[in-house]
Amino acid sequence: MSDSVDVIVVGAGPAGSCAAIVAARAGLSVVLLERGPFAGSKNMYGGVIYARMLDELIPKWWEQAPIQRWVTRRSTMLLTDTQALTVDFRTDAWGEAPYNGATAYRPDFDNWLAGHAEAAGAQLLTSTTVTGLLRDSAGSNRTGAIVGVRTDRPAGDLRARGVIACDGVNSLLAKEAGLYEHTDAKHFTLGVKETLALPKEVIDERFGVRDREGVDIEIIGGTGMINGGGFVYTNLDTVAVGVVLKLSKLAAQSLRPEQVIAGLKANHAIAPLIEGGEVKEYSAHLIPEAGLEMMPKMTANGMLVAGDAAALCLAAGIWLEGVNFAIASGMYAGETAVDAIRAGDVSARGLAGYQKRMRTTFVLKDHRKLRRAPALVLSDRVQHLYPAMVANVAERMFRVDNPQPKPGLRRIFAQERKRAGVRRRDLIRDAWTGFRSYG
Amino acid sequence: MTVVVCLKWVHDAAQPDDVRFGAMSPADHSALELALQCGEWAHADVTAITVGPAQADHILRDALACGVRRAVRIETSHAVSGADVAAAIAAVVADAHWVWCGDYSIDNGSGSVPAFLAAALAARQALGVIHLSFGDAPTIDAGVIEATRRLDGGRREVLEVRAPAVVSVEGATAHLRRAGLTALRTAAAAAIEVIRIATPTRVDDCVVQQYRPRARELAGPDGVSALARVLSLTGAGGARGAASARRTVVLDPLDAAGRILTELREWGYRT
Ligand SMILES: Cc1cc2nc3c(=O)[nH]c(=O)nc-3n(C[C@H](O)[C@H](O)[C@H](O)COP(=O)(O)OP(=O)(O)OC[C@H]3O[C@@H](n4cnc5c(N)ncnc54)[C@H](O)[C@@H]3O)c2cc1C
Repeated sequence: MSDSVDVIVVGAGPAGSCAAIVAARAGLSVVLLERGPFAGSKNMYGGVIYARMLDELIPKWWEQAPIQRWVTRRSTMLLTDTQALTVDFRTDAWGEAPYNGATAYRPDFDNWLAGHAEAAGAQLLTSTTVTGLLRDSAGSNRTGAIVGVRTDRPAGDLRARGVIACDGVNSLLAKEAGLYEHTDAKHFTLGVKETLALPKEVIDERFGVRDREGVDIEIIGGTGMINGGGFVYTNLDTVAVGVVLKLSKLAAQSLRPEQVIAGLKANHAIAPLIEGGEVKEYSAHLIPEAGLEMMPKMTANGMLVAGDAAALCLAAGIWLEGVNFAIASGMYAGETAVDAIRAGDVSARGLAGYQKRMRTTFVLKDHRKLRRAPALVLSDRVQHLYPAMVANVAERMFRVDNPQPKPGLRRIFAQERKRAGVRRRDLIRDAWTGFRSYG
Repeated sequence: MTVVVCLKWVHDAAQPDDVRFGAMSPADHSALELALQCGEWAHADVTAITVGPAQADHILRDALACGVRRAVRIETSHAVSGADVAAAIAAVVADAHWVWCGDYSIDNGSGSVPAFLAAALAARQALGVIHLSFGDAPTIDAGVIEATRRLDGGRREVLEVRAPAVVSVEGATAHLRRAGLTALRTAAAAAIEVIRIATPTRVDDCVVQQYRPRARELAGPDGVSALARVLSLTGAGGARGAASARRTVVLDPLDAAGRILTELREWGYRT
């Protein structure tokens, strides 16, 4: 067996498997390296995959993908200790082909996707951790073109014409290649979740769904004094409850993340949904939260970076999407590598088409549009002042205070704004930022 | 001279239905490492063999990546007993000199396969080995392995083992080497020999009723006070010391056997 291949893909998450599928289908020799004992074994997330990008790669993927439920009901919840205001949307359209979002377990989904990479001819090697980059001997150790990777196995060097780094958040390879100017703890949030087992009928009844229908609840508030957010997702016979927490605040509060989840689970708006659920799993993972602000250079001589490794996760409050960005960027990285290898130029310049592919599609367009959203959503006002203010307005709107006449909404709002200590100037500024991001 | 290692593909006890968690037992890891060392010592190729379904190819590939030369999977038509597994393996590796096994597999293994295998191969057996040293400079058949076995009560037994022999080892006896990258890639594409054998369906002996010792009447404890009765029941403070004191009697064999039976009856082991 030769010790050189066309493409090495590092990490068999969604980004890596999609890159491998594309490159292998184009006839290149591809090795996909994964540190876990099988693809997906190390991977966790909240729970909803938007796999539209797979339409191209695996036609009718929904007939074979190992999904749990199709999200037909999506709620966004503002939560305080005693109040909840929910915008709840449901549609039958998302419950039939071609579907929209799906809950799935990552060890199932990633393993399935990696199976497609193997079927396309890529060689998947598991229990193999990449520990560094191989550089062209002509250049220095920091600047030479990347010509392969070093693994933790004996005689573990493998050379390739191109390397695609899909090794997830905090990417060792992107950092070693010098693509991140600086990394800062404030760019990351910590996601933690519990998976709670409940009988399917109980979940169906509590969440008002049937068969394969599922629910996605995104929560603003509910994480105490730690800036972040929460989520509740339904699987077939488990419910995922989790929080996403700003690292600096978590450290400052010296709280354990599981205590924050316990707080969310005890909230009266959440507790009845999950009562009696037996904890099956507790997991935690970093999220590259800062979006555009933290993104590295995505190409080096001989290497492309995709997915979370390139901080392409979109974490903007009511959206928490990373798998779709990983799938798309992995595909584009695969296509770019194929083009560059065929053209015989894998220098950063030869790989420049990658950035262009992403700039002209949702991958970077969504990030550009929502570039201010992560900071806004995690700001102290949105986190600690607005939920109570809005919930109080709703409470007074819907309260019947006879013999008092019904108050006007404008008056209630002005009073509640003052009571919450929100300055009008800040409110207008935040509203404008929000409008520009989400509008 | 052939060196053989027997590996079993087992499910993870926590995820019995999930083939992704299927693997070898730690004891098999240990056996594989020692088989490879044995192969180096005896200048012989190592064959890995398993009885199991197609998913078990996965552990054979791991073995190939670590340095085994030949991998054989025996597929049986029915679920088989330990004796059948041993017979099936023995048929394929009848000429083996050294056969290495894990002492028992983590899926309720009883450790019987190595013993059955030794019987089927008419080979020596060294079972439950915790320490090994390979003698020096073996000629083809003359190598000697010194094996230490664990016995009950923390005791040890040292054996000098000569081929042909079946050696079963505990999980901590050796640490499996890590496969090199190129070997791993080659093994992933290597062919596995599959041998299909028809096995008879057997009706398992089944226990209809659990064994329960017969009830027997016991005299109540002696003593007027509750404390005295508890003391006499538990033997605390030497209350039963006299009854259980060691006695040495010298008798001829026939009387001795009779005496043992009498004592056993008194102690309640016989009726
Ligand atoms: C709590 C939480 C909730 C989330 N919720 C959602 C959600 O609901 N929807 C959504 O779309 N996204 C969600 N995300 C984001 C999503 O999980 C990620 O964006 C996505 O997994 C990125 O995919 P990836 O392929 O880039 O990286 P990963 O999925 O992280 O895969 C990286 C792979 O590389 C392997 N690897 C890493 N280093 C090495 C190495 N040195 N050598 C070999 N292999 C290596 C890893 O084992 C892993 O398999 C969530 C994330 C978290 C933490």
